[in-house]
Amino acid sequence: MNAEPAPGADIRAQRTARLAACLARAADGELGALDEVVAELNPLLWHVARSQGLGDEDAADVVQTTWLELVRQVHTIRSPLALTGWLVSATKREAWRVNARRRKQIGPGVDVLADSPDAAAGPAEQVLTNERDRTLWRHFAQLNERCRVLLRVVAQVGRPDYTEIADALDMPRGSIGPTRGRCLAKLRGLLLSDPAWSTE
Amino acid sequence: MSAIDPDAPLDELDERILAQVRAVHDEFDPPPPDLNERVCFAISLENLDIEVSRLYEDTRMAAGARAPEKIRAVTFETDSLTIMVTITVGPSDDVLRVEGWLAPAAPLRVELRMPDEAGDRRGRSLFVTAEDNGRFVFGGVPPGLAQLTIHRDPDTDGPGAVVTSPLML
Repeated sequence: MNAEPAPGADIRAQRTARLAACLARAADGELGALDEVVAELNPLLWHVARSQGLGDEDAADVVQTTWLELVRQVHTIRSPLALTGWLVSATKREAWRVNARRRKQIGPGVDVLADSPDAAAGPAEQVLTNERDRTLWRHFAQLNERCRVLLRVVAQVGRPDYTEIADALDMPRGSIGPTRGRCLAKLRGLLLSDPAWSTE
Repeated sequence: MSAIDPDAPLDELDERILAQVRAVHDEFDPPPPDLNERVCFAISLENLDIEVSRLYEDTRMAAGARAPEKIRAVTFETDSLTIMVTITVGPSDDVLRVEGWLAPAAPLRVELRMPDEAGDRRGRSLFVTAEDNGRFVFGGVPPGLAQLTIHRDPDTDGPGAVVTSPLML
């Protein structure tokens, strides 16, 4: 096992201290204390919401609701280390509520995930200009839904956070970090066997 | 296809693959450009003793032949309070009328908070008091972000305010 601190441990410690300061200022009622935290973590929460099959409007609303819940509960969040995981879990839970409500509104038997943004590779093939990216997308789209959610979300954070984020998404232990895990192994195998995907 | 060991430690190629997964998603499905602004506005609250009201329904419909403007109907819910709002254009083209109902009905103070162009973080707010039947009206509302807050007595009714996520009116 690796006894050395992981690379980036200092950066992570600094980030944790910075988050702690922001949370403390927010808990003291300082407006704007969380602006930089919002800017840093919003892309992650957006991808969590979208990976749960929400459309643009619903995803934006879920992200807003999640931050409102955070400020409501800011006094109870003891460790800034746990903040990212807390936000990811809360976003997933809010997205689940919206999906449950949509199913109720649409009626039983309709798959609300049918229009999920990553279900169809078609539009992406047109948006992505680079052949290498299109190749990755094609193989990524073949992964099962659980793997697409995991890799899409984990890719938004740094390596030291992989395990925490996988936990927050309710993925089994060992899904990713410190080992590669099945999802990434599957994608890596698909990419390496495709001559159109080069490793540069 | 080459067999890849899932139990091997993450290596540099894995990191490069994840970086590409991230880049592709950021390009294909980026967050809306105003998402940070919307969230920062939403959470710039004076008082954090709140209950968060979830958006339950948001529908837009044609108002019909007699009223040419479009109507938008929005419902927010918490366990203790439902807020129903309809938004119409008028009387002039550049302002909106926001009419709402609280259920259960109560003559509570209702705040509609909008970003302040002069840059005050708290934004600027319109206040009305709902009628006994729970109805309230804001007229002359400019289009843009707006957040509803229902103020109530914190001693008897739970948290002192019910806050919605901001709507883009």
